[in-house]
Amino acid sequence: MLVLHQVHKTFSTPQGELPVLNGIDLTLDQGESLALMGESGSGKSTLLHLAAGLDVPDQGHISIEGQRLSSLEEPARARLRRQHLGLVFQQFHLVPSLNVIDNLRLQARLAQREDAEWTAHLLARLGLAGREEYFPEQLSGGQQQRLAIGRALAVRPSLLLADEPTGNLDEQSADTVLALLLELVAETRCALLMVTHSARVAAPLNRLVRLHLGRLEDPRP
Amino acid sequence: MIWRVLATLLAHYRRHPGQLAMLLLGLWVASALWSSVQAVNATAKDSYARANALFSAEVDQLTRRDGQSLTRDDYLTLRRAGLPVSPMLEGTLEIGEERLTLIGIDPLTLPNDNALGGNGDALTAFLTPPWQTQLAPETIDVLGLSRRQAPGATPTVDNNQRLPPLTLRPELPPNTLVMDIAAAAALLDSDNTLSQLVTAPGALTQPPDGYRLSRAATLASPEQLTDSFHLNLTALALLSLVVGLFIVQAALGLAMEQRLTTLRTLRALGVPAFTLTMAILLELLVFGLVGSALGLASGIWLAGQLLPDVATTLSSLYQADVQRSLVLPWHYWVGSLVITLGGLLLAGSGVLWRAARLEILALGQSQAWRLGYQRQLKRMTQGGAVVAVIAVGLALWLSRLPSGQGVLVSFGFVAALLLGSALCLPPLINGVLRLLQRLLHRRPLAHWAVADIQLQLPRLSLAMMALLIALATNLGVSSMVGGFRLTFLDWLDQRLAAPLYINASPSTLTPMLDWLDAQPDVDETLPTARGSVDLLAEKNARGKETTRERIALFGITPAPTITNRWPLLDTQTGRSAAWSALSARSVFINEQMAVAKQLAPGDVVTLETPQGAMPFEIAAVYPDYGNPRQQILMPTDVLVQRFGGDIASIGLVVNESADRQALRQALADNFDVSPDALVDQQEIKRLATQIFERTFTITRALNGLTLGVAALALFATLLAQARERQRQLASLWALGVPRKTLTQLPLYQLGGLVLLTGVMAIPLGIAITWTLVAIINVAAFGWRLPLYLFPWDIFITLLTALGVALAAAALPSIQLWRSSPQAMLNKGVV
Ligand SMILES: Nc1ncnc2c1ncn2[C@@H]1O[C@H](COP(=O)(O)OP(=O)(O)OP(=O)(O)O)[C@@H](O)[C@H]1O
Ligand SMILES: [Mg+2]
Repeated sequence: MLVLHQVHKTFSTPQGELPVLNGIDLTLDQGESLALMGESGSGKSTLLHLAAGLDVPDQGHISIEGQRLSSLEEPARARLRRQHLGLVFQQFHLVPSLNVIDNLRLQARLAQREDAEWTAHLLARLGLAGREEYFPEQLSGGQQQRLAIGRALAVRPSLLLADEPTGNLDEQSADTVLALLLELVAETRCALLMVTHSARVAAPLNRLVRLHLGRLEDPRP
Repeated sequence: MIWRVLATLLAHYRRHPGQLAMLLLGLWVASALWSSVQAVNATAKDSYARANALFSAEVDQLTRRDGQSLTRDDYLTLRRAGLPVSPMLEGTLEIGEERLTLIGIDPLTLPNDNALGGNGDALTAFLTPPWQTQLAPETIDVLGLSRRQAPGATPTVDNNQRLPPLTLRPELPPNTLVMDIAAAAALLDSDNTLSQLVTAPGALTQPPDGYRLSRAATLASPEQLTDSFHLNLTALALLSLVVGLFIVQAALGLAMEQRLTTLRTLRALGVPAFTLTMAILLELLVFGLVGSALGLASGIWLAGQLLPDVATTLSSLYQADVQRSLVLPWHYWVGSLVITLGGLLLAGSGVLWRAARLEILALGQSQAWRLGYQRQLKRMTQGGAVVAVIAVGLALWLSRLPSGQGVLVSFGFVAALLLGSALCLPPLINGVLRLLQRLLHRRPLAHWAVADIQLQLPRLSLAMMALLIALATNLGVSSMVGGFRLTFLDWLDQRLAAPLYINASPSTLTPMLDWLDAQPDVDETLPTARGSVDLLAEKNARGKETTRERIALFGITPAPTITNRWPLLDTQTGRSAAWSALSARSVFINEQMAVAKQLAPGDVVTLETPQGAMPFEIAAVYPDYGNPRQQILMPTDVLVQRFGGDIASIGLVVNESADRQALRQALADNFDVSPDALVDQQEIKRLATQIFERTFTITRALNGLTLGVAALALFATLLAQARERQRQLASLWALGVPRKTLTQLPLYQLGGLVLLTGVMAIPLGIAITWTLVAIINVAAFGWRLPLYLFPWDIFITLLTALGVALAAAALPSIQLWRSSPQAMLNKGVV
């Protein structure tokens, strides 16, 4: 499903070179869920962005569904993202000018895979039914978070990449959102790579890896 | 997919209709003002082309040396002598209120093939009874007919005669009827007289004995004379186009910035960069088409409003006839569309470029963006410096050109000056703000206000640049017009020395002079005369040059009443010496001639007199505003006796107790003149002032509109930012700043910014005024004006700009006052 092989990434900043990832190897299979932990600034988001093809590694290669990202041209990479990936950002990145329902089905429509029944189902499951005409700024933080998750799942992706999807929520809401996310992931049988700070959130997932000093280590020997 | 993307992009405007309005407003204004001026120009061009299709500009003309009018006998004599002349008869026909020019020609002898008359059957129909009346389709309305009825109709004119059957000829000028000379003679009741005898250009090398020959080339065509007038209009229109595009660019940039997250999200969700760029291009085209359609429609309306004034100006200033209904050829439509769309793409190119190179991941985006703006400021400074160097170069070039030349170079200079200053404005403001920030670091709120306006600068700078350009031009043009007005009114006072004037035909005026001198009530008669002469050579400081050119002559009576007041620009040894020289054998020349031929007092012109070529010394140069032609001035009696001139008018000084009404009646009883041939000086002044005001109507209108547009640009930019401003203010409120203070802060911030821009506009405006009065006007019209400045007008213009800025700045404050700041804090979450 998702394979990272010896991935390196260094940022050049005005203050000099900043190596963030130093040889990451990672494999994620269909239907599997993986929690990615690590302290702030350790490069979790960077890794996620590389996996999504939003950025390119300096060394190593990444493949999704057997396709090497580096061998794809930009339009093909965009198409792969559109058709197969679901992204939940740390800052939700909802489209402020579109209402709830249009935000929800945006990617599905772009991928020409809109499924009205599934959208309605998601809307109900996310607790956003009745708020279709609201604009993002009229939603609470948790609601926005749920909408972002819904948008990623509406396309029925084969891989869901989520960057701290519960980071902005209190513990109780976080639990609810997480439970919902996992249920929906199970329903669609997609693979899940989730970045989180919280061991509680990581617990229900199949596997856990920790990013430290640019390398992945398995905390459970 | 592209449609979906486009729909997502357009959804932004549904939530921010203000930005859409601003975008369309910019496009609308840019295209409306541009297309209206182009419509006026196209119509005038069409009129000139049609006037040229007639003969007068392209043939040589013969007149009698003795000043008598031409008759058929002249024609027969010349034909018998074997000269290829053709007779022409011109007159006016009155139909109700309207006056039509009637031209009778003889198509068989008419020199060049101007397609009149026709050939074959058409020629026969033209030449034989019942003859034909050829006229342009527009003229039909005057005759009270519809287009369908017109062909073949024989309408009645005021003297109860019928016109020959009508035939439409679109290439003829409006309000002109052309027919065979025999038919015209019957209609005009002209007996034996002819108006002109014409020959093909160059057909005669020497005028026949007793005749005078005016060459075609010496009669400047209306197109040449009015060239600079149209150039001035085009320059103003270009200015409003640029200001409009500034707004468009500001609106596009703002919309782009607010949609950056959306664009990145779309890319992250799998929209290829190319599709995204194309969608934005498509969006631009949609707006472009809507904007240009709106602009064209209102541009044509505006042109329709302005055209009568322009036509009056052109006819009073240049005797160029322009029709009063618009004529818009196909290339006008295409041209306007291309200019608007091209301008839009130019303004949108930055946005397209950014969209194409969009980084999906933009961590630390605002920081990078700020760095980017610093880089942009640096580039602006460099660009401004380059343009300033160009401006200096052009100024040097101008200073080496002889005066009266370089209209295009001076427009280039003004453009470079404006652009250079506009480019330097944001770096300058930035520098001032930095300085302020350093000075104010102990006063937190003021410090914040400066830092905050510095953050807003990237968005505001375009509107500020547009405002600077518009303010400077407005100041420049209005002080030029105002200064001209003062000069002109003064000049009019000096030129119109006599309290009464009589206008009539020369044959009436000449006997009238003796009669007037015998009237006890009349203290003084001051006849003027007109004529023309061949200028054979001119000798100035740089040497002697021989030419042969027809120059207009003007005669005045050098009595103290006139010589005490008649305005002079330049003399060799003072006024009184100049006037005594004039009474001896010197001449004066007008400023237009001095500029065009680079002549000064002391130089010599050689004129052809009946006694042969004779040199005349130039004693003075006088201002002659409103006259497009060169002119030589001499005493009336010299002009009449030596140069075959005609009395053109008589100025009268009457004693205090004189009964003007009785004089008027006596004139009408004794001579073939209407009672209104005697006009009051005040009446002439009123008319001249009126013509003057109309001349600048279009300039004033365009000028005002441009400033209005710039104010709107600023207003719209501020409005578009109002929401974010509220958020900023709300967070200050959360930190404990009282609402009252918060309401005032934006006023200080923007007021200061606009004031800075306004202050910078003042020297720029003065530079523009100077270029206009000292270079462009001299080259375009032949007269130079003193530089006048109007501090009160400058103050009012500044105040207006300030008012707009404060009104716009007050908006977020008022909203903050009305709604709870907490609500606004919440809005900031997304
Ligand atoms: N575009 C960039 N340019 C320079 N440095 C960057 C860039 N993007 C990320 N970094 C740096 O790379 C490091 C890792 O960033 P990243 O966002 O991946 O951290 P993270 O693990 O997601 O942290 P957090 O848990 O706080 O979200 C940070 O030190 C960050 O400053
Ligand atoms: Mg992160």
